[in-house]
This record gives sequence, structure tokens and C-alpha cells, in this order.
Amino acid sequence: MASSVLGQALPRIDGPLKVSGSAEYTTDRIFENMVYAVPIGSTIANGRIAALDASQARAMPGVIEVFHRGNVGELYKASPKAGMIDETRPPLADDVIRYYGQYVALVVAETFEQATAAASCVKVTYAGVDAPNVALELSADDEPNEVDRRGDPAAAYEASPVKVDQTYVTPAETHNPIELHATVATYDGEQFTLYETTQSVFNHRNVMSEILGVPRENVRVIVKFLGSGFGGKLWPWPHDALAAAAARELRRPVKLVVTRKQMFETVGHRPRTQQRVRLSADRDGTLTSLRHESINDAGMLDEYDENCGEATPYLYGTPNLLVTSAQTRRNIGPPTAMRGPGAVPGLFATESAYDELALALDMDPVQLRLRNEPTRDQGLDIPFSSRHYVECLTLGSEKFGWSERSRAVGSMRKDGVILGWGVSGCSWLAARFDAEARVELLADGSARVAMGTQDIGTGTYTVLAQLVAEATGIPHERVVVELGDSRLPPGPTSGGSMVTASVIPAVLGAAREAMKSAIELATSGPQAPFAGRDAGDLRFAGGRIVARRGGKGVPFDAALRKASVSRVSGSGKGQRTFGQEHPKYSIHSYGAQFVEVAWQPEIARLRVNRVVTVIDAGRMINPRLARNQVEGSVVMGVGMALFEETRYDPRSGAPVNSNLADYVVATHADAPHIDVTFLDYPDTELNELGARGVGEIGLAGIASAIAAAVYHATGVRVRTLPIEIEKLLSA
Amino acid sequence: MNAFAFTRADSVAGALRAAGGDAKFVAGGTTLVDLMKLGVENPTTVIDISRMPLAGVSRMPDNGLQIGALARNADVAHHPDVVNGYPVLSQALLAGASAQLRNMATTGGNLLQRTRCVAFRDTAMACNKRSPGSGCAAIGGFNRNLAILGTSDRCIASHPSDQNVALTALEATVQISGPKGERSVPIGDFYLLPGDTPERETVLEPGELVTSVTVPPPAPGAKSAYLKLRDRASYEFALASAAVVAIVRGGTIERVRIAMGGIGTKPWRNLEAEAALHGKPATAEQFAKAAQIVLSDAKPQSQNGFKVELAKRCLIAALTTVTQGA
Amino acid sequence: MSSQAFVSEAVAPTAPANAQPPATAPKVVEVVFTVNGNRLALVVDPRATLLDTLRETLGLTGTKKGCDHGQCGACTVHVNGRRVNSCLSFAAMHDGDEVTTIEGLGTPENLHPMQAAFVEHDGYQCGYCTPGQIMSAAALLSEPCGPSNADVAESMSGNICRCGAYQNIVAAIQSVRTQG
Ligand SMILES: Cc1cc2nc3c(=O)[nH]c(=O)nc-3n(C[C@H](O)[C@H](O)[C@H](O)COP(=O)(O)OP(=O)(O)OC[C@H]3O[C@@H](n4cnc5c(N)ncnc54)[C@H](O)[C@@H]3O)c2cc1C
Ligand code: FES
Ligand code: FES
Repeated sequence: MASSVLGQALPRIDGPLKVSGSAEYTTDRIFENMVYAVPIGSTIANGRIAALDASQARAMPGVIEVFHRGNVGELYKASPKAGMIDETRPPLADDVIRYYGQYVALVVAETFEQATAAASCVKVTYAGVDAPNVALELSADDEPNEVDRRGDPAAAYEASPVKVDQTYVTPAETHNPIELHATVATYDGEQFTLYETTQSVFNHRNVMSEILGVPRENVRVIVKFLGSGFGGKLWPWPHDALAAAAARELRRPVKLVVTRKQMFETVGHRPRTQQRVRLSADRDGTLTSLRHESINDAGMLDEYDENCGEATPYLYGTPNLLVTSAQTRRNIGPPTAMRGPGAVPGLFATESAYDELALALDMDPVQLRLRNEPTRDQGLDIPFSSRHYVECLTLGSEKFGWSERSRAVGSMRKDGVILGWGVSGCSWLAARFDAEARVELLADGSARVAMGTQDIGTGTYTVLAQLVAEATGIPHERVVVELGDSRLPPGPTSGGSMVTASVIPAVLGAAREAMKSAIELATSGPQAPFAGRDAGDLRFAGGRIVARRGGKGVPFDAALRKASVSRVSGSGKGQRTFGQEHPKYSIHSYGAQFVEVAWQPEIARLRVNRVVTVIDAGRMINPRLARNQVEGSVVMGVGMALFEETRYDPRSGAPVNSNLADYVVATHADAPHIDVTFLDYPDTELNELGARGVGEIGLAGIASAIAAAVYHATGVRVRTLPIEIEKLLSA
Repeated sequence: MNAFAFTRADSVAGALRAAGGDAKFVAGGTTLVDLMKLGVENPTTVIDISRMPLAGVSRMPDNGLQIGALARNADVAHHPDVVNGYPVLSQALLAGASAQLRNMATTGGNLLQRTRCVAFRDTAMACNKRSPGSGCAAIGGFNRNLAILGTSDRCIASHPSDQNVALTALEATVQISGPKGERSVPIGDFYLLPGDTPERETVLEPGELVTSVTVPPPAPGAKSAYLKLRDRASYEFALASAAVVAIVRGGTIERVRIAMGGIGTKPWRNLEAEAALHGKPATAEQFAKAAQIVLSDAKPQSQNGFKVELAKRCLIAALTTVTQGA
Repeated sequence: MSSQAFVSEAVAPTAPANAQPPATAPKVVEVVFTVNGNRLALVVDPRATLLDTLRETLGLTGTKKGCDHGQCGACTVHVNGRRVNSCLSFAAMHDGDEVTTIEGLGTPENLHPMQAAFVEHDGYQCGYCTPGQIMSAAALLSEPCGPSNADVAESMSGNICRCGAYQNIVAAIQSVRTQG
């Protein structure tokens, strides 16, 4: 394949729409006769609804209806195989309140102002109110689940000369995409059309159809632009069902926008994790045992396993290992996947522990990691498809200037400020979801590719255009990309950094089939440009149909016009590798994070100055987009390390800092200088182009690298995130 | 948000006529609209005063400065007389909120901004300030950002402003017009401690309008600075802040004014600490003593004990900055 | 209906049916203002923020809501040439004002230099905070702001980008500033 567009840092094809306010996000939908819905959340976390008095609200101007358990209509549980949903109880299903903010009613009015005013006038009284369990200290409710085991880690630990045994905690975090979760639901008596903030139109359709009790064909889910989600928008949440139910009852389009406060209560969070890590090593740094035991909180009704040990079994070599996970129930809205679920909190713990081990060994932390580089995946006992972790570490060291590090705490200074340097490794899985695509070649010389996946900001629109351009030679500006609609061929969920890897076989397959059709068209019929020739003698290149022997050939669109057809099309399919029972290869991305922090003890000010990141994620389809993903992850990592924690009031169970002034995320001024390098080793075990995915890996390892740098600057080892000022005041 | 009537006043007299009952003035709206959305403020009438001709910043005959109540925070911060004569005020304003908010926020509105205590801002939580007698959910609850000075067993809400901390160190005066005429209140007397009546935050009576703030002329040789400490680098309220105005000659502190933010129930000034510095050498040791005096009465809550140490470092650093090279 | 089309047509108070507060509403306010060069006379619910009025009544949905409390900057528009958070003022407070939204800055076919720079420098990911970032950045050009990247970052800190495209946003702004 002639490589012209792949690997090019093309600007996004949807850029002009995004910068001009023309990109249509879910809440931008406005329909004739549309009404506004405002959900009401409970103000207790543990009890039940005794009475709900909506009389005053109903009498208010513009109010159309107040929905509650008695009048919302049937909402069912989706069957377990329908698809993914983290809160399986349908909204308003019973009067039991299990978490603060759980929806108890929905006000619908002609305008947003009227609906919000009325919502504040619905009186809800509660009974049987008990103290909520939102305790921070986690202990497993049931026997931990053994994720992986090899050798005899306890015995090896006892026998080893150098040990680390520490517990690390990552707090509840809220995704907080800047786009609020929302639904605009329409119902015409038979068909639901749901404009959703979803990272997965197909899962959403499948689950919502069961919740609404209608066939899948009767639900269409659309999301043309998504204001990101970071996992929070993977699966449906209760407001989706409420909006659809209101549209069903009222037969009017319903717009429901979840407030920022409600987003802390009702659309998931990264659960709190508590992770005990025990490491042991020989004096030369050889890892003799590794135990990683984690607990996370879950909601009162549903299971949620954060799986912090995701990367633990394969990242380093050791003969003796134990990985377990456990859950404990809390009166908190159910957790959900947040960017890099499992591995991100997990690597904070294990990579921090390696840093502590390096100290205990008096060894350079980069050297310690190099020492324990395995030759195969010791967890699954299979070879790696393509692993260049060592190069990430060594190249990162070089770029960062790691060799100039002076090891003693607080020993490095610049411009009167103490510098701290820290390093961490990172890793993230690479796999494919099922995906189908249709590619059409049009008689005007353009192409169209259709796939029911979403662009959540990662650049899927652009990547699809590049793939079609690559396969057909049609300029990428002439490729129209159609996404975000469950009427299109089923595409992958935007999750797990798997979209790019997943779409490649489907799109390339569809493009090839379409090109084949064009060639056949060019040979059939007396008027055809290659009439009478064998299709096998022709090929499609640079947007033209040409003879294999040579010659100029004809533009494909001329052949189409000659035949009086508007288009030829092809379908393509790619199969999932995600969740495969017996993989042949261990397929993962790797990286190294080097961080410099600045510490001014006289004013207790800590800032992250610069980050050098080297990522081994296969081939880059578009380095501009990929770099942006990694830079954005690093920024989120600064927030994770230093600021972010959803705090629950122990008395009411409410997330109390449920707004963007009290739940602090990184601003422009907090962003460090970020230097991203991609190693370019195509991983063709995953797909023919060798592209993996970069949506999450950049966040992994940032918090541990920052924590290591903070230790280096201050002498304070912070094992419970975030690293707030108060934890450093003793330094 | 409850329904309300909206009127516009284009003169002080008009505003005062329209005022009364539970009517509220709106200037920039960045506090009032926010709190109305939260159901914390529920006026039945809102009087838009933003068009009144009170946006000027002008020199007074005594060479002091008069800042109109409607002067936008951004305009004040960048006004040459402020930048040159009162750097502490310019720095404090620029350390506050965001560029957009500073374009909206007014001097008068900023003087009267309300606490950021989450219990105050959430009508589902108990708050004696919002709803007298209901209790205080912040005591023993989320109080990391709340006050350690000037608290009572009814209220521990911190005063959140940066501007007012600088104005306190500058010994500004608030000019007020009301149904009973005009009056001036030194900023040190403008704010009230919560005591048993946390719902009363200032001496402003219902229906009274702030028309301007005046600051005395800069003392010859005075230097000033504002230091704000917070978790993230920008767009966040202070965990601790310090405004310092000082005259140092030959290494000796001749005159100093200190006000602190983020730690008190009002902009915090401690005369004793200032007195302790007068005539003393501008040294780290003296600064530490002054900081000790300011924080000696601190009453930490369950989450904000760290502010005692943080505030000390903040004050010492601000004093160091202002007196360096003097 | 496209928002552009609506605004150029609507010189009189002919908002969509559902945007007019119903006759039973006790209190309404008239406001006459200019939005993207079009003079509009509206009758609004005094509770309606400038943000909701732009989006839901005028169909100018380019301006985004990310928090509704002044805490994110997604709603940034220009009022009389200065950037403000449109979620924290009532539409009724803008009688006589000139409002510019992202739609008024440039169109996909005819981008403002700042919009073009955001495309060139990939100053976004999901694009949701982007209109606010760009309105902020365009206003910054005529504000007192130091020359360094750090100065720009500080001045832009009222616009949160959860996707974290900060480095590229600052690069985009600096490219426009240095081109004069
Ligand atoms: C996200 C966010 C972050 C912020 N960060 C900071 C920060 O870091 N530091 C900081 O200092 N501030 C900060 N602020 C607060 C901001 O500075 C204030 O909201 C602003 O100064 C209030 O001014 P305004 O003109 O908008 O007031 P308005 O909201 O119009 O009015 C506030 C109050 O004052 C009354 N009022 C207004 N003018 C007068 C007058 N002339 N006479 C009598 N009464 C009057 C009103 O009735 C109302 O009760 C922040 C605000 C937000 C939303
Ligand atoms: S929506 Fe206005 S600042 Fe967030
Ligand atoms: S581009 Fe997604 S929030 Fe900024």
C-alpha cells in the first residue's frame, strides 16, 4: 500500500465545524414543540421516599407534568446480555434510596426556566433514613477474587533481603467532561429517536430498547459530536430512560440536560481504590515476588470490579505473583470505567511501590525497571506481539536528561526553587472490538464511509477519512465520513483506546470491496472503459482504474458515470480480539513518563514543570491527533495527582464538592510543558497497519511519576492521592 | 429559580426608589445570578444597576483614589493609577476568578460577594447563614476551604474575596447611599463577624447602595504586594492570601499594614501584628513573630488545620517580598 | 432551521413558539440588543440567562453550557467587545448591548484567524470547550497580556479544557499574536 496519507499529521476534517460552533452536539438539538425536563435527585443517601407532593409544582406556569414512580410508565431492566449498563435498576423503579442524588421525580415544562423553578417546589419527604455508608476505609465485603497467581509469593517475600509493603489509595474521581450528559428524546408513537451523549450508539440502542420494552428497530440513537466522556458516557444512565419515558408519555420532544452537580451523583465515577502492594527483591534488584491486592467501592446493587491488577502480571518479570481484587458496597451512585480503568489507579500503586523499592535498594529507578524486563508475558505465558518498553525508558531518560539527576532528596535547585524528578512506566491493553463499515465510491469522484461509531474527540472522523484515502487514493478531503448513528453499520464503542485498531480491518475491507465493484463495473457492458477485459487484469490505484500492465487508466468516477451509476459500495468487517479466551500474543502498549516538579517550601507551592513521555503504541495513523491524546492525558494526570477527589459528606452521603470550583481540575496555568515521542513499531498482530491506540496510556503512570518526583523534591512519600498542600507542609 | 420582577435603574436615586423589601441589586451578576440558580438568593425583584454612571476610577483632591461601585474588576486592575499607586490591589484583583469574570465583576459586587462554603451554597444542607437556626453542616463536614479566624459555633464560613483583602490593607472606605442619606464606613468596620448572626455579613442596611470605594493616597515610599496560595495555579479561591503594604527605611519597618484572606470570616487584619513590626528590622525572625500573632487565635476545623501553617508561610513570604531590597 | 438563517431573519421578536414564556407567566421583560450584528427585540423571562437565550431561544447553539455557574468558561461570548461568562448574566441585563458569539466570529467557510489557528494547531479534541476558548482567545488579543506562553496560559485559565489540549491552544493563540 502506497503510504501517502497514513502517518501524516493532517488537521482534523471536522475542525472547521468545531471552531465555528457549527458542530452539532446533543444539547444543540432544538425541535418544534420541544419541552424541557429537569430531574430531581434525593437529598438522602439511604432510606426511602415516604411522600412526594407535586401539587404546587404542577400549578406553576408552563409545567406540563411531574413524573414519578406512579406515572412514568413502564421501564424495564435490560436483560444481562442486552449490553453494558452500570446501574441496572431502572429509574423510579421503587421507593428505596440507595445513594444521594438518586432520581425521585422528573419535572417537564415548556421552558427550562419554568422546569427548574418547578423542580425546586416538588416536596419529597423521606422515611427510614439511616446513616449512609460512605466510609473511606475499604475492606472487602466478600472473599477477594484471585485474578492471577504464580509461584509462591509469600515464601519468596519472606526469603528476600529487600522488601516493600505499602498501601496506596486513589480517591473517587468524577469524569467531568465539559459537555454535560444529556438526552433529547423524540417518540412518534412507535419510533424513539434518542440524541444522546454516548460513547457507544449500538450498546445504547440495544440497552435502551429493552429498558423501554420495544424492539431494537424502534430505537435509533444519534450522536454526531460528543463533548468527550472519558468513560462516563460509555453506557446508559438513568436520565436517558427518564427522558425517553417523558417523550413517550407526552409525545413531544424532550430535552434533558444533567447538571454539573448531578453529574457527580448519577453518571458514575472512578471508584475509590485501596491497594496493598508487597514487593521483594534480591540485592541486585531482581524482583523475587509481587503481590497486588486491591479493593474498590461499588454501588449497593450492582457489581463493579475496577481490576487494578490489569497490568501487574505482565509488566515486569517475577516468578512469584499474586493479584486479587475485591469490592465493598457503598451508598454512592454506581462507579463506572474512567479513562484507563484498572491500569491507571493500579499503576499508581505498583509503580509507586517500584520507586520505593528502588530507594530501598539504593538503585536508580530506571535501572530497576530495566533489570526486571521480561522476555514474555509471564501472566499468560505467551510471547509479546511487540514490546519496546526498554526503549521507552532509555530514550525517555535521554530526552529528559535523567543522567543528571542527583539522587538525594531536595538536592536539585534551579532559580531558587527545588526540583524533583520522577519516573514511571505505563502500559495499556490493545485489542479490537467487532466493527462493520460501508464504503461508497461516488460518481462525483468522492467517497463516503459509514460506521456506527463515535468521535469523542480522538479524531475518528479524520482517521476514517485517512483510511479510505489510503486504500483508494481518493484525496482525504473528498471522503465524507458518517458516524454516530445506530442506523449505520455497527461500529465499535469509543472505549479502551480500541476504536482505531477496530475500524482498520472493517474500513479497509469495505474500501477494497468497493474498489472491486468499481473495477468490475469498468469491465462490464459494451460502453465500459475496459469492456471485455478481465477484472483480474486491472487494479485500483490513486483513484483510478488502471491495467496492471501499465497505462494511464481512467478515473473511477468516469467509469461510474459511463455506466450511469451513482455509486458502488463495499462492506467490511473486523472481528473482536477483546476478551479472547486464548490469545496467541500478549498485545499491549507501553510507555515511560518522566516528570519534573518544582517545589517552593516557603509558600508550600508545588507545580509540575515538564513531562517527557515516550510511547510505544504501534503505528501512528495521525501523529497530530495521537500527540494531542497523550498531552491531554498528561494534563488529566496532573489533576489526578494533585487535585482531584470527589468527597462524600459522611453524614448525608452527598458528594459535597460537586462543582468545578470545588472539584478542581487542571487549568491552562497548571499544564506542564509536555514532550511526546512515539516509537514507531507497527504491531501487525493486531491489524494489518499495526496501529494500537493512544487514548488512555498517557494517563497511566503520570500520578506515580509525579508522586516519585514529589518525594525527590520534598522527602514526603504520598501514597494517598491527591497530593494536596497539607500533605507536604511537613516538608 | 423563582420568578421575579426585573427593573433597570439608571441613577442612584432611581435605584434607591426601586429598592426595598427583598429586592436585590444586580451589578455584574457573578455572585447574585449564581446564587439565584442555587436557590440561595430568592429576591422577588431584581434591580439592574449596571448602567448607573458609577464605573469611573478617579483621583480625589487629596490624591487618593475613588473607585466607582460599578467599575469592573478588570478595569480597576489595569488602571494606571492602581497599577502604579496600589499594586497590591491590582495584583489581588488579577489573582481572582478569571479574565471573563473580572470583566463582569464590579467593585461593589465584589465587596458583597458571599462565602463559597458548600453548605451555604446547597439548600439541602444546614446553614445558619442562609437559613438562621438550621445549624451548620460545615462544622465537622466539608470545611477544608473555610475559616480558622473569626469563626463562631454557628458559622465558620470564610470570606472569599481577594479584592477586599487588598482594600483592607489599604484602609479603604466604603461610600454608601441609602434612604436615609449618605454615609462612609471604613472597610475595617464594614464586615461583621458571624457571632450569633451569621446572616448579617456587613453593616449595609437593606435598600442601601454602595456607590464607591475610596483609598487614601499612597504613603510616600510605601511598597505593596499580594500573595495568594491555592491548590491549582489559577481560577481558584484562596486557601490563604496576604496583602502587605509597608514602608521600610534602612532595613527598619516604619509602617506596615497587613490583611489576610482565605482564613478569616472577613478580610483579616491584625493590628497587634502590625504594631509588633513597627520599628523592627525587616527580618525573617520578625516576620515569623508577626505571623505567630496573627494565627495565635486560630481555631482549626476538622479539615483545615493546615491553614495555620500555610497562612504563616504566606504572610512571611509576602512580607519578605514587600520589604526585600528596601 | 440553521441558527445563521434564523438570526438574519429574526429582526422582530419572532422566537420559536416554545421560547416565548406563556401568557400566564406573571413577569416578562423586553430586551433589545444586537447579536452578531443583528438587532433583535425579544420578550424574555427575566430568569433566562444570556446563555440559555442565545441557545434555546435564538438557536445560536455554538455557545456551550458546561457548568452554568461561571466555573468552566464554555459559555464565553463577547459583550461590547469583552469576554464574559454568558451563564452568569440574565438576558434582560443586556438591553442595548452588542453580543458576539462564536457564530459571529467566523463561519466554516470563512474562519476568523483565531479559529483557523485552532484548526492548524489542533487546539481541541472533543471541541466542546472550543467556542469558549476561541471567544476568550479572540478577546485576549486586545487585552493587556504579557508576551510569554505562561502569560497566555494564565489569561486563558478561565476556560477549562478537560480534554487537556492546553499546549496546543496556547500555541494557536501565540501564532495569531505573533502574526500581528
Ligand atoms: C467561578 C468563580 C470564581 C471566582 N473566583 C474568585 C476569586 O478567586 N477571588 C475573588 O475575589 N472572587 C472570585 N469570584 C467572585 C467574584 O469576584 C464576585 O462574584 C464578583 O466580584 C461579584 O461582583 P458582581 O458585580 O458580579 O456582583 P453581583 O452578583 O452583581 O452582586 C453581588 C451582591 O452584591 C450586591 N450588590 C452589587 N452591587 C452593589 C452595590 N453597588 N450596592 C449594594 N449592593 C450591591 C448584589 O445585590 C448582590 O447581593 C469568583 C466567582 C466565580 C463565579
Ligand atoms: S457554563 Fe458558564 S462558565 Fe461554565
Ligand atoms: S476540547 Fe474537549 S473539553 Fe476542550
